[in-house]
Amino acid sequence: MSLRFARPLRAPHCAAPVVALALALPMAARAQSATTPASPFTTDVISGLPARTIGPAVMGGRVAALDAVRIDGRLHIYAGGASSGVWKSIDGGTTFKPIFDKYNQSIGTITIHPADAKTVWVGTGEPWVRNSVSVGDGVYRTTDGGENWSKLGLEQTERIAAIAVDPANRDVAWVCALGPLFHDSNERGVYKTTDGGKTWSKVLAGANPQTGCAMLRRGGDGALYAAMWKHRRTPWSFASGGPGSGLFRSRDGGATWQQLTKGFPAGDVGRFAVAVAPSNPKVVYATLESKAPALYRSNDGGDSWTEQGTATVIADRPFYFANMYVDPKDENRVYKAGYTFGVSTDAGKSFQPVLGAAHGDHHVLWIDANDPDQLLIGDDGGLHQSFDRGAHMRMLAVLPFSQFYHVSVDMERPYRVTGGLQDNLVWIAPSSAPGGVKNRHWTTLMGGDGFWSFVDPTDPDWVYTEWQGGRLGRVNVKTLETRWIAPLEEQGQPANRWHWNTAVAMSPNAKGTLYVGSQFLWRSSDKGTSWQRLSPDLTTNDPKKQQQDESGGVTVDNTSAEVHTTIYTIAESPKDAKVIWVGTDDGNVQLTRDGGATWTNVAANVWKAGLPRGTWVSSIEASAHDPSVAYATFDGHMMGDQKPWIYKTADYGVTWTPLLGGELTGFAHVVRQDLVNPSLLFAGTEFGLFFSIDDGKSWARYAGSDFPPVPVRDLVVHPRDHDLVVATHGRGIWIFDDLTPLRALTVATLARETALLPGRPTVQAPFTQVSDGGEWGNATFAGPSAPEDAQVSYYLRTRHLRGELKVQFIDSAGRVLSTVAGSKRKGINRIGWAMRLDAPKSPPAAAGLVLNFGALVGPKVPPGRYTVRLIRNTDTLTAPLVIQPDPRTTHTVAERAQQYQEAVRLADLMGELTVTTESLIDARDQAGDRIGKLPVKDRVRAMAERFSTSLDGVRGELTSVKEAGGAITGEEKLREKIGDLYGNVNSFDGLPTKSQLTRRIVLDQDFRVSAKKFEEILEKQLPALNEALKGKKLDPIVPKPRQVVKSVM
Amino acid sequence: MRRSLFAAAAAAVLSLPAVAPAQTVDDVIAKYVEARGGLAKLKAITSLKAVGKMEVGPGIEAPIAMEQTRPANMRMEFTIQGMTAVQAYDGATAWAIVPFQGKKDPDVMPDDQAKSFIEGADFDGALVDWKAKGHTLTLLGKDKVEGSDAWKLKVNLKNGDERIVFLDADSYLEIRNEQKVKMQGTEMETFTNIGDYRDVNGTQMPFSIEQGAKGAPGVQRMTIEKYEANTPIDKTRFTMPKKAN
Repeated sequence: MSLRFARPLRAPHCAAPVVALALALPMAARAQSATTPASPFTTDVISGLPARTIGPAVMGGRVAALDAVRIDGRLHIYAGGASSGVWKSIDGGTTFKPIFDKYNQSIGTITIHPADAKTVWVGTGEPWVRNSVSVGDGVYRTTDGGENWSKLGLEQTERIAAIAVDPANRDVAWVCALGPLFHDSNERGVYKTTDGGKTWSKVLAGANPQTGCAMLRRGGDGALYAAMWKHRRTPWSFASGGPGSGLFRSRDGGATWQQLTKGFPAGDVGRFAVAVAPSNPKVVYATLESKAPALYRSNDGGDSWTEQGTATVIADRPFYFANMYVDPKDENRVYKAGYTFGVSTDAGKSFQPVLGAAHGDHHVLWIDANDPDQLLIGDDGGLHQSFDRGAHMRMLAVLPFSQFYHVSVDMERPYRVTGGLQDNLVWIAPSSAPGGVKNRHWTTLMGGDGFWSFVDPTDPDWVYTEWQGGRLGRVNVKTLETRWIAPLEEQGQPANRWHWNTAVAMSPNAKGTLYVGSQFLWRSSDKGTSWQRLSPDLTTNDPKKQQQDESGGVTVDNTSAEVHTTIYTIAESPKDAKVIWVGTDDGNVQLTRDGGATWTNVAANVWKAGLPRGTWVSSIEASAHDPSVAYATFDGHMMGDQKPWIYKTADYGVTWTPLLGGELTGFAHVVRQDLVNPSLLFAGTEFGLFFSIDDGKSWARYAGSDFPPVPVRDLVVHPRDHDLVVATHGRGIWIFDDLTPLRALTVATLARETALLPGRPTVQAPFTQVSDGGEWGNATFAGPSAPEDAQVSYYLRTRHLRGELKVQFIDSAGRVLSTVAGSKRKGINRIGWAMRLDAPKSPPAAAGLVLNFGALVGPKVPPGRYTVRLIRNTDTLTAPLVIQPDPRTTHTVAERAQQYQEAVRLADLMGELTVTTESLIDARDQAGDRIGKLPVKDRVRAMAERFSTSLDGVRGELTSVKEAGGAITGEEKLREKIGDLYGNVNSFDGLPTKSQLTRRIVLDQDFRVSAKKFEEILEKQLPALNEALKGKKLDPIVPKPRQVVKSVM
Repeated sequence: MRRSLFAAAAAAVLSLPAVAPAQTVDDVIAKYVEARGGLAKLKAITSLKAVGKMEVGPGIEAPIAMEQTRPANMRMEFTIQGMTAVQAYDGATAWAIVPFQGKKDPDVMPDDQAKSFIEGADFDGALVDWKAKGHTLTLLGKDKVEGSDAWKLKVNLKNGDERIVFLDADSYLEIRNEQKVKMQGTEMETFTNIGDYRDVNGTQMPFSIEQGAKGAPGVQRMTIEKYEANTPIDKTRFTMPKKAN
């Protein structure tokens, strides 16, 4: 038996609450929980708390890997984000779904097996090794198109640049492992499997522990070409190239390799790009990073090489753009990755950029083998599609890959969210919007790579924000003009060292006061017009770490990305404006307790508590509860230490306690303390989001609402709405609506079988007619809006399996207004109540064919105090539920009360109409039954027919009756008129119009007139008719009672 | 209830995440049948009626009713504003009346819908007697459903569709069913969460069913108020009526 309707009915304007489904833990969490099971606060408990993502998808995050295939003519696309996981489209790019949410989100390469489209290899760890690049954990494979994945080892390689497969055998593959970026390792090179990834053998090792495989291509003749690359990053430098770098070839499946040098210049080389012509395996192209960068071609499968050209695109940032493709049908048409893809039609002698408009920084390309006009391009702005070889492009703006660095909120209603993105500007959007937060709700404020952004609390039309390297500005949200306000050094002063991600902070005490940090801490109290230097150089000022003009290796690459010995985080105590914490990228933890007059570096006190010396301070959180308390995260990954370091001090930094228990994994970016419950902490690491309810002693990974193990860079608790806003670096902004239940969750609560948790007062938002879902088509991103119904949270120690679980909503008089089925998951559950009475009964119209849309929902109860009652078998728990009017409302309490009363009156009128109509139809049907039992010319039959006809006449006044073979008859009778009036009154929380009030009286009178006619028919005709029926030995006609149950007022 | 949504079928055995279940499919299914009350008690029920309600939107509820007889006859109804939508199958024809847009006559269900509905009509559900029904089951090991341990079974139905069924790891009762269905040639993914089991004629029946589409917000909740077993149901309830004209 099934209660699944073949076509589920859904009211199109209604969005029921999201049900969080955490079907499985990320692998990392699983391993952790196995070793530290002590705390009952686990991922299973926390993951029931719903979160919603508002994107955006209007600007990308990097699409670092890409493959596509046509199956039965339909284009299936796999797009891999730099830190966004793998997303799949089966409709040519109109829609995508994430298919890798349980696993590492940094995607290095995707390879669909050419003979078996359901077999797909994914190498994790992006190979485009910019400063902010994430970390992978090995190779995965699916054999069912992405439904299930097997993790196949090579975990320590950290980055995989390419995977080549044998078209004749889906179990044979070669993995090109770039390896760790920040430390020496031999876990790199080319690995081969012949058993589908069960076992691996390294078939090509680097010449030294810095050299890994940066590109691997397999020609149609089976030859393998591997670009080996020596490279290393530190926090203050990058080095590309040197001994070990070179191009290698194997013609025996990887058993033996030969370095290819004939025709290449001598001297240090860096990163190669290599590509084999699909139409001719002897034609191979390579670009070579060197002091004289050039593109080379081989016509003999790599034996010898000839320089073709030196077009600019060939030398575009080799560490970022060493990638190249040859047209499937034209061996002379070459695409080279770069600031945009360069295309050559003359075998690489000359290049032009592809013409189509797209975000720059192009990394990966897919060319349709059968129709090379069709391209997909993965770039820093997302995924772009072209149907004319790149001449024109469209962005597939449905992938929420946005890589936020920071986020802040303001006090508008709904509050706005603003933050900066890796290579994708600074943006602002409402946290909620009718019909969902869509791409069009996001407004860009500033260009570049975006970082901190704060709405000026003294003037919400202005936003303080920055791009990379300390370009700090004040932007007008309405005019979008920018005043550049960064402090500039005066004569004789040392130059400011501005970090790539320059620290900016707002004072929590003095509204509008702003801090920015170079090596010095600066403060402005006049909107950036003037600045006060509050500190000496707070860093180690180590000159060895200040040589960025020499950074880059073979190719100098000196953006601000390696600027070091700078302030990275600033936190003024909300409890004491003179207490200011500063953390630096070179490991100093500086504290002033006198507003900057004197500073103390307390970093050594953290080192005493186990932190490796000099570890980068990634965030400091000054407690909102106690000026002596602070929390700090430390991130050593750029020095090869990926442990999550979180510490607390409760004595102004003299002693520190590590907070590393439970399920915490990944190097730590941010820690925040709740503004209400000091024991409630939130942490973001490179591999996810973590909660603690015991002041950091134990952490639980959040894996609900399909939240992946994505880097979490910043967190903020909204001080008014009590939401947690999460800035992910790869999956946009996520919002947890209402932390109140979590604040009440204690270890003692967790021991109970069932617990009803408190919630914030529900703000009753106005009903809106806005609905713009359909006309934008499916190719649109829409993040759920904030829940508009009253939210109820409860805790179940174990999944509810047997018996009853329901939630009732009760008014102040003790009447049950509504009953809602409860969700059943283990841990935190949340359900919603629409805050409405039952819908009024509506009579059927015509032959019962037309919905009375106005009357589909019941009257919306007025703000006030209600009670929630949770019933779980024999357990009954109650809690108050407070409903408040929207603070933006212009309606008085009395007006709202009058509106509610009027809505209820109309609902009751509709109810009366229904009962009367049903009674009338029933009497008529009884008459019909008797008519059928009487001969045609019978006198009694004629009486019954007259009775029936009289009733139908009245029915024609009560409801529409026309049957026109469709729903749109246009006929309006009492049912339609009352329904429409009720719907209009019920959808506006203020006073009904005078016209509406009058209309109700008119319709009420009209109804009474019709009802009286019905009664008169019964009185005048029925006694005689029933008497006559009795004479025919037929049952009398007994009308249904017409009593109406009044609604709650 | 979704015992009827359990499905099964023959299909290629894919290489799935490395799990080495200590139990076999037969072990798990035996415990599942036992958890439901055992084969004898299941087979002792020859007809079933249920009534309840379905939330079709915030604050919008519709009464629902279901009737079913062996081996695979089923009728389902839901009612809004006195208008009743019907879906039914009599072993030969799956049909529906959807009156909300001015149509009162029955129509034969499109094949996509019919397939799913007919699957649901299987009285005991696909997992009972799955071999005889021609389905294929693969035990994928243990997984988590909303934080709870569950046995994960892949069911390849004889009709070609695939289902993933999750049985509570302790009780072996079904708690979730994921469906991949083809609608107009395109695959859609839906799920059903099942719970609130109670005793009906010695068998465990779910009183709560939630349905949703993967990746879309919101679920549709159904609550059963009452089951009635072994009440005679006339065959005509399942047969497509003649059109009025």
